[in-house]
Amino acid sequence: MTTTLERTVRAVPAAVKLTAVGKTFGTGTGAVTALRGIDLAVRPGEFVCVLGASGCGKSTLLNLIAGLDAPSTGTVAVHSSRPSVMFQEAALLPWLTAGRNVELPLQLAGVGRRERRERAAGLLELVRLEGQGGKRPHELSGGMRQRVALARALASATGTGAEEPGLLLMDEPFAALDAITRDVLQGELLRVREATGTTIVFVTHDVREAVRLAERVVLLSSRPGTVVREWTVDGDRERLHDTITGELRQVISSHAA
Amino acid sequence: MPPEVGAPARDDLAALKGLDALDTPTAAASPRWRRALAVGLPPLVALVLFIAVWQVVWASAITSEYQVPAPIAVWQEFLAIVADGRVASILWTSISRAFLGFAVALVIATPLGLLVAKVRVVRAAIGPLLSGLQSLPSVAWVPAAVLWFGLTDATIYFVVLAGSIPSIANGLVAGIDQIPPILPRVGTVLGARGLTGARHILLPAALPGYLAGCKQGWAFSWRSLMAAEIIAAGPLLGFGLGAYLKEGSDFSNMPEVIAAIFLILIVGIGIELLVFRPVERRVLRVRGLAGA
Repeated sequence: MTTTLERTVRAVPAAVKLTAVGKTFGTGTGAVTALRGIDLAVRPGEFVCVLGASGCGKSTLLNLIAGLDAPSTGTVAVHSSRPSVMFQEAALLPWLTAGRNVELPLQLAGVGRRERRERAAGLLELVRLEGQGGKRPHELSGGMRQRVALARALASATGTGAEEPGLLLMDEPFAALDAITRDVLQGELLRVREATGTTIVFVTHDVREAVRLAERVVLLSSRPGTVVREWTVDGDRERLHDTITGELRQVISSHAA
Repeated sequence: MPPEVGAPARDDLAALKGLDALDTPTAAASPRWRRALAVGLPPLVALVLFIAVWQVVWASAITSEYQVPAPIAVWQEFLAIVADGRVASILWTSISRAFLGFAVALVIATPLGLLVAKVRVVRAAIGPLLSGLQSLPSVAWVPAAVLWFGLTDATIYFVVLAGSIPSIANGLVAGIDQIPPILPRVGTVLGARGLTGARHILLPAALPGYLAGCKQGWAFSWRSLMAAEIIAAGPLLGFGLGAYLKEGSDFSNMPEVIAAIFLILIVGIGIELLVFRPVERRVLRVRGLAGA
């Protein structure tokens, strides 16, 4: 039941291109197929939300793109500097200050001390945490931590100093935050993206979040995850929200039996 | 519907700054002298009480003099070795041995712990042995070491290493096992793999457990050293605290024995308080883990 929308190859090479990607964990009777026959192409600079209920293999998909895991079938091609990942937790290193957390990917990429100080300060300013670089993660609120993680991910995406805008993979980064903070941070993410032109693949189970953030929403089915439908977001977001919610309900109800 | 993309940023900025201000965790601090009092006073009172009880027991003469000497006799014995300068050489012999042994143990146990924690085969092979060795009293090594190395410093160091290496290595293994799995993943994503990953992610993340292991390793190395010094005595060996204690026992000089026990205790506690406690506290406070 792979009702995928085939995207024709464009003149611009895709930032991410998945071709017939499948992922199976384990072997024999205990094997679980997490993903099957996924075709997905993301243009450079595009903001794509991958939407699905629990167990649809969203995180697996992200891990495959990030290179944290290898697909069982098909190919994953990433044309970008090293993709950077943001998780549901900020996952800051608790022994480093906020500033040093942002600097770490630059340090690992061999950027000199003075330059990485400057770039980290600039990125912290971008996420509106100017002057907070000296604080430790436990001294920051959840929302501030997640913004430090965003700054770190942006630093990681541009670690080698390449001029390309980079690829940011986000695995439900706002799911653990309270509603108000989430709302504000969604706005912040859009602002930061506008400023940096980063390509973003954003995984979520929240239809409203997907419709608000993305240019394109891709709906995955569950167990195994396959692409059900995709929508380009323009015009009436409220109606699109209802349409997608309806479709998602259908996907979920098909698992009732 | 949430606000549109690119809506006026001023409100957002104000909201964001407001949220930051409201959500930032606050810490209450009590005055320094009060904390010092709360930490320092109880053990002081306990010590005074202990000496008082000791004095009473001695004064009541229910035990004989050679079993329980007067507190003042022990104090005079201590003053005597301070006066003739023996105390410095005794302490230096033992403490330098313990430190050297501990330093060598660190150098051996750290890579060993890393290997056991990260290489499955190594863990399966020697992991249980390593935890087993921790419960083997290192005194048990002394007779064997004397036969292998004779009454030399090698015997002493062997026993110290046998006592402290398992503790330190096990501490590091426990520290690594307790790292939240998200941190190594973050390290991989940020480009830290292999040895770079160990240096930037694994070791710092395991530091609290590693430090606890080091603290225990120090205690074990001090203990093993005393056992070795008491049992293995000879002309080739320097005169340390253990030998001093043994000397007191051989001459039935109870004040000397008690003074030696106190010195051993004081050095053990002193190193813990002066070296390990501050380091551990700093490491935990930086991570927001310290209660104090």
